[in-house]
Amino acid sequence: MKKIVFLYLFSFSATCFSQKKIPNINVTTLKGKSVSIESQLSKDKVTVLVFWATWCVPCINELDAISDVYEDWQEETSVDLIAISTDDSRTQKRIKPMINGKGWEYQILLDKNQELKRALNITLIPHVVVLKGNEIVYRHTGFAPGAEDELYEMIKKHSK
Amino acid sequence: MKKTITFFITLLSLASFSQQDSHISYGFESNSQYYLDDSKTGDFLESNRFRSNNFFKIDYYYKNFYVGLQAESYEPKAMLNYSPNLDKTNLGLYYVGYKTNKIAFTLGHFYEQFGSGLILRSWEDRQLGINNALRGGRVKFSPKEYLHFTSFYAKQRKGFAVSKGNIVGFNSDFDISSAFNFENSSFSAGFSYVGRTQERTETNFDYKNSTNLFSSRVEFSKDNFYSNLEYVAKGKDAVIIQNQIKNAKKGAALLANFGYAKKGLGINATFRRMENMNIYSDREANGNIYNESVVNYLPALTKQHDYLLTNIYVYQAQPQVSFQDPSLIKSGEIGGQLDLYYKIKKGTFLGGKYGTKIALNYSSWHGLKADYDFAGFDYETEFLGFGQKYFSDLSIEVRKKWSKQWNTIFYYVNQSYNKRYIEETFGEINANIFVSEATYKMGKGKSLRFEAQLLATNDDKKNWAGGTVEYNATSKLAVYINDIYNYGNDNVDQQIHYYNVGGSYTVGAHRFALNYGRQRGGLICIGGVCRNVPESTGISANITMSF
Repeated sequence: MKKIVFLYLFSFSATCFSQKKIPNINVTTLKGKSVSIESQLSKDKVTVLVFWATWCVPCINELDAISDVYEDWQEETSVDLIAISTDDSRTQKRIKPMINGKGWEYQILLDKNQELKRALNITLIPHVVVLKGNEIVYRHTGFAPGAEDELYEMIKKHSK
Repeated sequence: MKKTITFFITLLSLASFSQQDSHISYGFESNSQYYLDDSKTGDFLESNRFRSNNFFKIDYYYKNFYVGLQAESYEPKAMLNYSPNLDKTNLGLYYVGYKTNKIAFTLGHFYEQFGSGLILRSWEDRQLGINNALRGGRVKFSPKEYLHFTSFYAKQRKGFAVSKGNIVGFNSDFDISSAFNFENSSFSAGFSYVGRTQERTETNFDYKNSTNLFSSRVEFSKDNFYSNLEYVAKGKDAVIIQNQIKNAKKGAALLANFGYAKKGLGINATFRRMENMNIYSDREANGNIYNESVVNYLPALTKQHDYLLTNIYVYQAQPQVSFQDPSLIKSGEIGGQLDLYYKIKKGTFLGGKYGTKIALNYSSWHGLKADYDFAGFDYETEFLGFGQKYFSDLSIEVRKKWSKQWNTIFYYVNQSYNKRYIEETFGEINANIFVSEATYKMGKGKSLRFEAQLLATNDDKKNWAGGTVEYNATSKLAVYINDIYNYGNDNVDQQIHYYNVGGSYTVGAHRFALNYGRQRGGLICIGGVCRNVPESTGISANITMSF
């Protein structure tokens, strides 16, 4: 029985590696508007989604690290980074003061009850999803200082 | 059960073979532990030294349709202190749905949240063993892009079964500023209804099968200023004290929030009052230690600290009614918190080359001021009266980057924790906690991080010291060692080191971690929800994979 399950899993996962569209899930803007994630992506361009939360130290470290070089990244590749907060209502109110206090230039979207996070089967944050148009081309979980350089290599590769 | 899984998977794979507009996402998580005897903290006395919690979730999307399931396996047994309802292998969730930008249907399990969750929130937290998903039918309808409606009828998941009580919900959100094209400000309003119906037990107290909750809320922002307000009224429901119905009372919650944010500066202030605000899908679940059958989300509004010693005395929200003894009666909580974020500019004396980031938080929580009648299990509260102090917490964080290689964080916390009221035991703790952290980057993903912590108090278990060293060998491989040591404990036998060593390996969206160590018993809190865990020693392995 188990073997059959795995065989099935393996076979259809293989067929699906080529097709990885982002699911059509609604997220909320900082002004409280509900928008579909797809509508926030620009066609043919590379967009990076970073799933984070105000209480997640490695997430903050990653977004702080990228913040230092974000201007250069945008100039060279015109990549857009969207920081998707998975904060629940306990910490949601901290998002606005925090991003301003940090001086981050990212677009911020709220995944209030983690619908998008779950749809992408993300269990740990920080989690980075690199998209070309609306197709997922790369995913990464966790952050180690310096890993932003590897992410940038990936962005450059897909920006061509 | 196995047939169901095979059926689903066959369906999914067939669909994925034939279609171009389809895609699949799946994830796997496994948390296992092998418990060991410990000469300091005692032998492992439970059954099954090896325990494992496993989750497999798969979602398939085809055009506007989706179908998915989550299989869960707690074999041979769930890890220590998870609900006994999480046992063996079974389907935890299954659902099908259809979604466009205007309308969405779901049949099966779904997660939902109305407003801030004060009236309704279903969610999952695997580490805490919480999954209170709803199982039933849901319709979402957005006739205009500024108008959203949701309604559902469901039972709530409890272990692998569902609640006896039924839950019906209705929600509306109206973005007024978009509807009327306000140029410079945003204004929105929401209204929700949640009803829980469960056959009442025969008592003399006056409450009905159905308990109704209503929430109204408004949100306003203009320029750098923003605010929101929510009020929830809960109809009469049984008040359960130590598993017995002792009264029937109404409940209420008020949440107000104000903030101001501009580049380099952010301020936020929150006020909340809750009176008898617990609601469970089954009344008997009242006060259960596994957070099962919880309909709404009432987290502690305090700063979520990140360090081991800052998480020993963690506040938990006190929305419930409790009559322990005439000097220990609770009917809710009142209080608030203030956050301030500030960035000292680059190039100034204090800012240095890279700027300095400061974060400050203060929170204070009290019981409600009320006239209590211990014999009659009754009370009369004052609307804005502050009663017994439960908790306060002041924290300051300074983050500074010194050079391309060096980053530091200084963290100070002053806590006052009324253990007698919060945990309904005894004692009161005042503590000062100091943390400093430094990261040294060596390039190419190599880095070294040090943490030193001290908790100073004359109360409870007295002083603690702690430290962490973490080494990232590459951006994929990390190892760490940490220890917290209760060196101040009056009882020499209780002066215990809680040490842990471990490592993790990350490839893309997959992570594998191994850990060996001794865990401090007590409250483990994630996202404002806490779970009591026993002291334990062992080896643990964690695998998370996302596709």
